[in-house]
Amino acid sequence: MKIVVAYKWAPNPQDADVAADGSVDLGRAKWAVSEYDPVALELARQLADATGGEVIGLTVGAAGIDTPLARKAALSRGLDRLVLVADDALDGADGTRVAAVLAAAVRGIGDVDVVLAGDSSVDVAAGQVALTLAGTLGWLGLAAVSAVRVADAGTAGLVVERELPAGTAVVSVPTPVVLAATADAVVPRVAGMKDILAAAKKPVEVLSLAELSVAEPGAVLTTLATAKPGGAERTARIFDGSDAAAAATELVGALRQSGAL
Amino acid sequence: MSSAAAEPDFDVIVVGGGPAGSVTAYLLAQQGLSVVLIERGEAPGAKNLSGGVLYGRVLDEVFPGFAQSAPVERRITRHVTTFLTGDSSVSLDYAGGPLAEPVNAVTVLRARFDPWLAERAEEAGVFLMPGVRVDSLLREDTPAGPQVVGVRAGDDELRARVVVAADGVNSFLARSIGLRPQPPTHHLAVGVKAVVSLPRTVIEDRFAVSGDQGAAHAIVGDCTLGIGGGGFLYTNTESLSVGVVLRLDDLVKHGRTAAEVFEHYLSHPVLEPYLRGGEIVEYGSHLVAEGGLEMLGQIVTGGMVVVGEAAGLTINSGLTVRGMDLAIGSAVAAAKGIGEAIAAQDVTATGLAAYRRHLDESFVVKDLRTYARAPKFLERPRMYGAYGELAAGLFRDVFRLDGSPRKHLAAVARDSFRRSAVSVRDLVSDGWAGVRAL
Repeated sequence: MKIVVAYKWAPNPQDADVAADGSVDLGRAKWAVSEYDPVALELARQLADATGGEVIGLTVGAAGIDTPLARKAALSRGLDRLVLVADDALDGADGTRVAAVLAAAVRGIGDVDVVLAGDSSVDVAAGQVALTLAGTLGWLGLAAVSAVRVADAGTAGLVVERELPAGTAVVSVPTPVVLAATADAVVPRVAGMKDILAAAKKPVEVLSLAELSVAEPGAVLTTLATAKPGGAERTARIFDGSDAAAAATELVGALRQSGAL
Repeated sequence: MSSAAAEPDFDVIVVGGGPAGSVTAYLLAQQGLSVVLIERGEAPGAKNLSGGVLYGRVLDEVFPGFAQSAPVERRITRHVTTFLTGDSSVSLDYAGGPLAEPVNAVTVLRARFDPWLAERAEEAGVFLMPGVRVDSLLREDTPAGPQVVGVRAGDDELRARVVVAADGVNSFLARSIGLRPQPPTHHLAVGVKAVVSLPRTVIEDRFAVSGDQGAAHAIVGDCTLGIGGGGFLYTNTESLSVGVVLRLDDLVKHGRTAAEVFEHYLSHPVLEPYLRGGEIVEYGSHLVAEGGLEMLGQIVTGGMVVVGEAAGLTINSGLTVRGMDLAIGSAVAAAKGIGEAIAAQDVTATGLAAYRRHLDESFVVKDLRTYARAPKFLERPRMYGAYGELAAGLFRDVFRLDGSPRKHLAAVARDSFRRSAVSVRDLVSDGWAGVRAL
C-alpha cells in the first residue's frame, strides 16, 4: 500500500504579533510541521506498518520550506521518503491552488492508494485543502477520520472511523481515497535522536512546479475585507469577595440562574 | 573499553545551540570532525530570552565581518552610565568614534541571532538536531578512569569521543557528574528583562543615535530599590531591551520579588520617558552567574568539556555585563583543545586539558582574573566628578574590548592619566584614592 501524507510547513501563530486593528504579523513566527499534521503522519505510519506499505511525505509551498531542518522535522516522524514542491510562485497560495499542486504531485508519485492529511493547517485553518484535493483528483474524500485500518481478509479497501456530530460512524471505503484526520485521532510519536539521524539519510525528491502539470484554477478569489473575530458576549458580573462565603453563594446562584449548573 | 564502546556515532556531541555551542560546533566541523549539535528547543534561539549586548571582536575573528551579514540590531556607539536616586540622576555619557570602528559592541536579539549562528554551523557540516532534550550522560569506566562516552535522550543513546556541555547557566550536564556544585546564592543574580517595541525614529530621537547606531545604558542606585545589582537599557532596531539584574541573596534579604523591583524600575521618572508609548512584546527572567573567576569551576573531565555560561563564564563589572563574548571565547579555546586531543587520540581529562590551557591564555580567563579582584570600581560615585579627557580615556579603554587581554582598571586609569592634558597633582590624588579603593 502506497500512502502519501500531505502536510504543511507553517509558521506557528503562537509567535504572531496581533495589532490592535486585528491584523496578524507572522514575521517573527518560527516554522514547523503544522500542528495537526503529525497525527496524519502517525496514522499513516501505523497503517503502513500493518500492511507492509510505504509512507511518502508531500508538502508544497514557497522556496523557504526546503531547509535541512524542515526536511528532518518531517522525515523523523515516520516517513520513508519525502517529495517537495518548493517554489516562490506558491508563496501565499490559497487552498485551491495548494490542492491543485498537491494533486499534480500525487499523480506524479503514481499508484497512490491513500492520501492522509491533518484536520486543518495551524496558520490558515480553513480546513479545505484535503477535500479540494480529493475533488481535484476525482477521488472519494472523507474528513473527521479518527481511525483507519485495512479491511478484513477477502474484502477490498479500508475501514474508516469518523467522529461526526451524531456519533461515530464506521464505514467501508474503497481506494484510492483522501482522508483528513481529526486533531486527536492518535497520539503522534516524538522524534528521537536515532529518528532524526535516520531522517537525514532518507531520500528527498524535489519536484519542479514548472514540470508538474497543474491545472489553472477555475476561479481566483479576491479578499475584499478582513476583520478580527467578534468577542463573545459576556455578562461580566463581579462578585464582592470581602465575604467569601456570601460571594460563593452568590456565584452559585448566578450560575444556576444562567443554566450553567 | 567495553565492547559496547565500538564506533562512536560522531567525533563530538555538542549539547546546547546558543553562541557557545554553535561556535564550538562550527569550529570543530571546520577541522573536518563529525559533529552533532543537540538543542532542546524546536529551533536554536527558541528557548532564549530576548537578547543582549555582544562585544563582538572575538566573533569577528571567527566570522570576519559578521556585523554586516548577521542579524545584529544596532552598533553601540554610546554608553551611558547613570546613578539614580529617587528623584534625580547623574549620568556619564561616553559617545565616540573609537567604539564604532571596527565594531566593538552590537545589540542582538537571540531569537534571530542564534539561528544565524546555528545555520553557519550547519553549512560547515554540523548535524543540527533540534527538539531533543538530553536526559543524561553516558559514562564508562576505563583504565584511565571514568569517561563520558555519549548522551542519552529518551530511549536513544548517541556516542562520541567528546561531549561538549553548552547547556547554559543551570548546566544540568556539568552538574550531573559533579563538575559544578550548586553555586552559592551570592554568586547568582536573577535578571528580569522585557523587550519594548517602539518605532525606529522614536528610538533614534530619544537616544540621540542614527542609522544602525545604538546606545547602551547602565543604571545603578534607586532603580533596584537598594538591592545589590543594577539596571540596563539598550537599543535594538525597533525595540528596547530593558531590565534589572538583582543579586539573589540580597533580593531574598529585602523580602522583595524580582517582578516588584522591575515594575518600580520601569516606572522610575528617569526611565519612563525612554519607554513611553512602547508595547512590551517579550517578558521573562533568567539566572545570571556573576561570580567571575570564582564561578569558573572544573571545566574538563574525561570525554567532556564545559563551555559558555555552563562553565560559569560571565562578568558583571558594574558597567558592562558580559556573557556572549566570553562564551564565544571559550568556544574558540574548546575547539582548539578538542581538536588537539582527538588528533593525539587522548580524550581523557589529560588530553582535553588542552582546552583549559587555551582558555587560560585567552582574554577570557585574563579578564576574569582582572575583574575578580576589582569588580565594582566604577560603581563608586566619587568617579562622577569625572574629569573630561581623563574620564573619556578611561571609559573608552574600559568599553573597548578588542580581544586583547584586559588590563587592571588601575593600569587603565594610569594610562589615561599619562595621556591626559590635565596633569595636575590634585587630580592624581583624587583619582588615586578611587583607584586604591579597588
